[in-house]
Amino acid sequence: MKRFIVTIMAVLIITATLAAQEITGLQIIENVYNRPTGQDQEGDLTMSLINSRGDERVREIKQFLKDFGDMEKKIMFFKSPADVRNTSFMNWSYDSEEKDDDQWIYLPALKKVKRISSDSKSDYFMGSDFTYDDLGDRHPSSDTHKLLREETIDGENCYVVESIPKEEEYMYSKTITWIIKDKWIGKKKEFYDEDEDLLKTLTVKEVEKIKDYFVITYSEMHNTQKDHKTKMVLKNVSIDSGISDNKFTERMMKRGM
Amino acid sequence: MKNKILIMILLLSAIFLLNAQVNHHGFVRTYIGALTEQDGEYSVLQNTFDWKLDYGKGDVALFINPVFDYNSFNNNLDITLRQVYMDIYFENFDLRIGKQQIIWGKADGVFITDIISPRDLSEFILPDFYEIRIGTNAFKFDYYIGDATFEVVWIPTFQPTITPRKGSIWYKNMLDFPIPISYYDQMYDVENKLSESELACKFSYLGSSIDFELMTAYMWDDNPAVHIFPQPDSTVHIKPEYHRLPLVGASFSKAVGGAIVRGEGAYYFDKRFSAEDLSVNAVKEKDYIHYLIGYDHNWFGMNVSFQYIQEYILDYEDDIRNDEFSSTTTFLIREDFLRETLHFEFFTYYGINNQDALIRPRISYEFADGFDFQLGANIFVGDEGNFGQYDENDMIYIKVRYYF
Repeated sequence: MKRFIVTIMAVLIITATLAAQEITGLQIIENVYNRPTGQDQEGDLTMSLINSRGDERVREIKQFLKDFGDMEKKIMFFKSPADVRNTSFMNWSYDSEEKDDDQWIYLPALKKVKRISSDSKSDYFMGSDFTYDDLGDRHPSSDTHKLLREETIDGENCYVVESIPKEEEYMYSKTITWIIKDKWIGKKKEFYDEDEDLLKTLTVKEVEKIKDYFVITYSEMHNTQKDHKTKMVLKNVSIDSGISDNKFTERMMKRGM
Repeated sequence: MKNKILIMILLLSAIFLLNAQVNHHGFVRTYIGALTEQDGEYSVLQNTFDWKLDYGKGDVALFINPVFDYNSFNNNLDITLRQVYMDIYFENFDLRIGKQQIIWGKADGVFITDIISPRDLSEFILPDFYEIRIGTNAFKFDYYIGDATFEVVWIPTFQPTITPRKGSIWYKNMLDFPIPISYYDQMYDVENKLSESELACKFSYLGSSIDFELMTAYMWDDNPAVHIFPQPDSTVHIKPEYHRLPLVGASFSKAVGGAIVRGEGAYYFDKRFSAEDLSVNAVKEKDYIHYLIGYDHNWFGMNVSFQYIQEYILDYEDDIRNDEFSSTTTFLIREDFLRETLHFEFFTYYGINNQDALIRPRISYEFADGFDFQLGANIFVGDEGNFGQYDENDMIYIKVRYYF
């Protein structure tokens, strides 16, 4: 009998281990990358930049994005503060890893749309704690992924995946992401600097289900080394509302919302 | 002064009547500049209220940009309308009618195909470029086909470049005659009639592989040619005159390996150049090429930009006062610190022919959103040339600006 119980337990452990190994880190990240997000989306984005003394500066943006199959187009119109009002930014990103993003900026004082280098992905977006790369969808093949463990955060069962960039000069030495199992959406992400010290932590505070799609509506990035943070809130979200292709053009960058 | 205040009150009243439907924004700025070579004599003491008002309803929008400049030197208030226009939007095309700034091309700080809006050079090229460009009365038509745009601009009346007034530190008398001279008393001899209007067309494309513009224009040269007529009494009579200036041009911008490569060029037909030969009244007509190649890159977090510009007079004759080839470079480096509240910028023009330069370092800090303090310098190097001629005008300045 004793031998039978030991055998059963061994079978259960092996089965559980095999089940856990069924999914890899790469597959988890690919599931997140390929999570349906709708054909198009628009919303009002508010970024609150809070320094270590608690002083707050607010940036307000209206953003539109649309999936064009092999590429995604995004356009942002800056509403405040006053010195960047009517500035717009457009980004076209491609499924192909070979092709860099195309980016343009419209500065109302210059009255012209200027193509800018997408090589500045490590630059911080409008003085926030988010870099341009943090705000985009990083292709899964850019990193080597490893499933570290499973954990429960705020009652959500998560996979914990470590991602190490293949590019040596990348701004982070590694990231560790907590991904909610049944939603394929991030719950938390840690970014490590080139010395492998924790640089900043992204925490997803609110996720809303809009038209069958999970959307992050409130997140916070905390730079733990400099102790400043950025709250990012997305409101008035509308998905699959049929945004015109013409929204993502030079004409609209100049004309505004 | 009374009339100006009345205009201001009327404008404010009109805005008040339209009230909440009008969006308004702009800035207030105090600008003080001192000449370092002249014992710190002030060259600029200016307070500016730059007000932008826009109103839109349906497919029609209005934009008004009054600018109030108070000059402390002479206690003078200048009120100008930099722009005032209406937009009418249709399915595939737009119309913009009124006084407007129109900016073409891919060059930064250099005017090659960007010839639609004339310039206010009363303070040389030191003001911000959007303040240098004068709004021009125009009808602008834009037709959109996917990512391409076809634009036609009709300018009914000619407006020349504003040059520095006599007595200004930026005024230079180019005509140094050892004999008495007399001036033709009518400077602006372009008549206000349909046949004297200007027309320009542009086809532009913005796409994933490249952005480009192709343009042609039938303009007036914004700068007059100075005709010199020898008189029987051994004096000379001088007549500045504006001439037609047709041109074709193109520009492009392309991402190459993480950098942006830009180019722009124009071919001007029969541009007038000053010459020694008085048998042709000291003016010669030559075709002329003006082009630029530029490179922008993010280098260790700093934005770096370099431009090489060349001007070439075709079928050159030795008595022409300009050089056959004239080359200039520009260099810009800019970096932001403290979460984009502290900015450092270093910009320079370098004239290769005369080995002269304009060096413009500046540092600015945002105390709060929209409220910035700027400290900068304009340093002229050389003895002659576009920049060297102002060697005495080295300047340090502060600008305090609040955007609302």
